[in-house]
Amino acid sequence: MQMTQTLELFPGHVVTQLLFKDVKNAAELRKSAMAGEIPGALINPSMVVDPFQVLVATNKALHLQKAGKMKTRTLYSEIIFNLSPTNNISEAFKRFGISDSDDAVQIPVDRVSSLSDTAKIKKLYKVTPQEDASGSLLDAVICRMATKDVL
Amino acid sequence: MADEKVSNHVVQYLNSVELLKQGAEARVYRGKFLGKPTIMKERFSKLYRHPTLDEKLTHRRTVQEVRSILRCRRAGISTPVVYFVDYTSHCIFLEDIVGSVTVRDYINSTQGSETKCLNLLARKMGQILAKMHDEDLIHGDLTTSNMLLRQGSGGEEADLVLIDFGLSYISSLPEDKGVDLYVLEKAFLSTHPNTEVLFDTLLKSYTAASKKAPAVIKKLDEVRLRGRKRSMVG
Repeated sequence: MQMTQTLELFPGHVVTQLLFKDVKNAAELRKSAMAGEIPGALINPSMVVDPFQVLVATNKALHLQKAGKMKTRTLYSEIIFNLSPTNNISEAFKRFGISDSDDAVQIPVDRVSSLSDTAKIKKLYKVTPQEDASGSLLDAVICRMATKDVL
Repeated sequence: MADEKVSNHVVQYLNSVELLKQGAEARVYRGKFLGKPTIMKERFSKLYRHPTLDEKLTHRRTVQEVRSILRCRRAGISTPVVYFVDYTSHCIFLEDIVGSVTVRDYINSTQGSETKCLNLLARKMGQILAKMHDEDLIHGDLTTSNMLLRQGSGGEEADLVLIDFGLSYISSLPEDKGVDLYVLEKAFLSTHPNTEVLFDTLLKSYTAASKKAPAVIKKLDEVRLRGRKRSMVG
C-alpha cells in the first residue's frame, strides 16, 4: 500500500508512506535505519490511527528542520519524535519506531487503521473518556502532537 | 536573520490563500493543510509595541490559545482540532468546521420563531459553558459569533463548537466566570434583541449543570450592577 501527499507549506516536498506487512527482518532494518542507510522513517503502525498523523509529524519535522530547531539529529528521527505526545526522545523511538520483534513496518499508507492498537494509543496519548465520547481518536491524537511543545 | 527565513514558508503560503478576516490581533485565512480544509490564524507583529514586548505577548497569546483548546477538548467540549502551530510566525493551523453556522446567524435566521429549537440551543450552551468553567477555563470573549453549530453527521442534534480562545485564561475565581457570563449576556442581548427569556434559559441550564454555579451567578448579579471592571477605589 502506498500513499503520497504534497505539503502545501513546502512545495517541492512530497511525503510517501508505505506499509509493509509480514516483515521478518525488523532487526536488520532497524540497524540500517539507525546507521542512516534508509532514507525514511520506520514507524510502528500499531501506533498510527491514520496516515494523516504521519503527515502532521512530517510537516512539523520539515518545518523545524528549516528553522534549525529540530530536537533530534535527522529529519527522519524527528518524524518519529513528533508522533510522540511526550518530549522524551528515547521513549518516542521505543513506542513509535520499530522494534526487533515487529512484523509490520510503516514508512512515511492507506488504511493503516486496521493495524492500529486503539487501546494502547488512547493510553499513551492520555485520551480522556469525555474526549473519547465527544470526538474522534485521530483528532485527539493530532491535537496532542501539535501542541506538545508548549504543555 | 534565520528567523525571518524560517517564517518564510508559512508566510509565503498564507499569502497564497484566501484572507477571511483581519482583526486588531490577528489575520484569519482559509486554505488547505495536508489536504484538509483549514483555518489559519496569524498573529502579526504590532509595530506600535516594543519589539521584545511584542514578541513576548504574541508568543504567549499563541501558546495560551493552543493550551485552552486542548483543555476544552480534554473535557469533552468540541473545539476545532489544532493541526500545526508555528511559533516563529505565530500562526495556528486549525480545523475548518465545514458546513457550520455561527449561533448568531442561526438565531437571526429563526427570527424568534422556533422557540423549541432555540430553547434547546440555549440549554446546550448553558451546559457547555458550565463544563468549561468547571475546568477553570475562562473564554474571555464569549459571543454568539464565537460559537458554531456543526450539523451532526448521523444524529439530528447539532454539535456546538467553541472557537476563538485568543483571550482565554485559566482561573477558578467565581468573579472571572461571572464576568465571562456577563460579557456573553451583553453580547447576546445586544445582537439578539428581546431574548431575555432565552438567555435566562441558558443561565438556568448553566446552574443546573455545575455545582459551582451558585457562586458564579451571585457574582454575575454583582457584576451587572457595577459593570465588567472591578472598582479600584478603597
